[in-house]
Amino acid sequence: MGVLVSKLLSTLMGNKEFRVLILGLDNAGKTTILYKLQMGEVVTTVPTIGFNVETVQYKNLRFQVWDLGGQTSIRPYWRCYYQNTNAIIYVVDSADPDRMGISKTELITMLEEEELKDAVLMVFANKQDLPNALATDAIAEKLGLSLLKNRQWAIFKTSAIKGDGLYDGLDWLVNSLREGK
Amino acid sequence: MFSLLYGFWNLFFRRAEFQVLILGVDRAGKTTLLEQLKRLYTGLDPLPPGKIPPTVGLNIGRMQVERCKLIFWDLGGTPALRSLWENYYSEAHGLIFVVDTSDHDRFEEARDTLQLLLNHPDLAAIPLLVFANKQDVEGATTPRELEAMFGLKQLLSSSQPQNMLGTTALNGDGVQEGIEWLVEALRKSPRAMGMQQ
Repeated sequence: MGVLVSKLLSTLMGNKEFRVLILGLDNAGKTTILYKLQMGEVVTTVPTIGFNVETVQYKNLRFQVWDLGGQTSIRPYWRCYYQNTNAIIYVVDSADPDRMGISKTELITMLEEEELKDAVLMVFANKQDLPNALATDAIAEKLGLSLLKNRQWAIFKTSAIKGDGLYDGLDWLVNSLREGK
Repeated sequence: MFSLLYGFWNLFFRRAEFQVLILGVDRAGKTTLLEQLKRLYTGLDPLPPGKIPPTVGLNIGRMQVERCKLIFWDLGGTPALRSLWENYYSEAHGLIFVVDTSDHDRFEEARDTLQLLLNHPDLAAIPLLVFANKQDVEGATTPRELEAMFGLKQLLSSSQPQNMLGTTALNGDGVQEGIEWLVEALRKSPRAMGMQQ
């Protein structure tokens, strides 16, 4: 009964919480993005072993954001977190063309999971502050985003350390998740 | 015998499913149109037009129209993103091309973009609906003028279903009429029906 009332209240108040996963290869900038969104600050990070989770409030919506470690050895554990996920933020290091292929493989493998079939996909082409960063259309091509037919997706240029593009992405998330409310 | 009955069952009761591409140069009003379609056919409140940012990927709208299931693919129209369009061609049953009729400086670009689409082998014989959008703006070109300017009649073979209508995606004027035409055209289209499994 209590659960029902609290559910009803949160529906009325528009306080639904969305579950968002931040995924991507190691050193893409996932943890920096999480804390920039949550605190508005650039924190010094170490490679994540395990996960970080924070609640981010933006425009009436609450996001429970999970940042999962991206090293090869721990990527198999991503799947443990897929259930009930509303959105995936997939982060790529735009200045690392050599690993774009691996990034694509990991992305495709992840999107094949049944538990993620209704999740929207937002790609952050991160580290745009670096001089040799690839443009978003090139990254979209390399990741094979246009092969996605049944999933809403978008790609944004971001620089986590400067904070550029992160809120354009959140605006898109707010719009895209509106329907599932 | 069973397969015959099954065939009849399918013919009468199965709902056809059509995938429809919404294309056009950036700022034509493609996402505003998709939002309006969602309002008309699913009752969802559309996003306030001022809040729609340029699309940088794919927006999807799924809805039921006249016993058909329609899936709309709205792709970003900025020049850099147009290279991604062609991966969607082979699976599209219908095409809506949106033109901003108030932006006279970009008619040529819009026409060339449409011409490229129509020359693409993966879009052969696709039913084409052109929305001469933003008819509410003063000085907007009429659908008739636009049709002459685009020379659609010359571009297409006479067997390819095509229609051009004036619309205002902002308030939905002309949109429903267009979609009704498109559904009818899809049902008669060998391309679209041939793609149903």
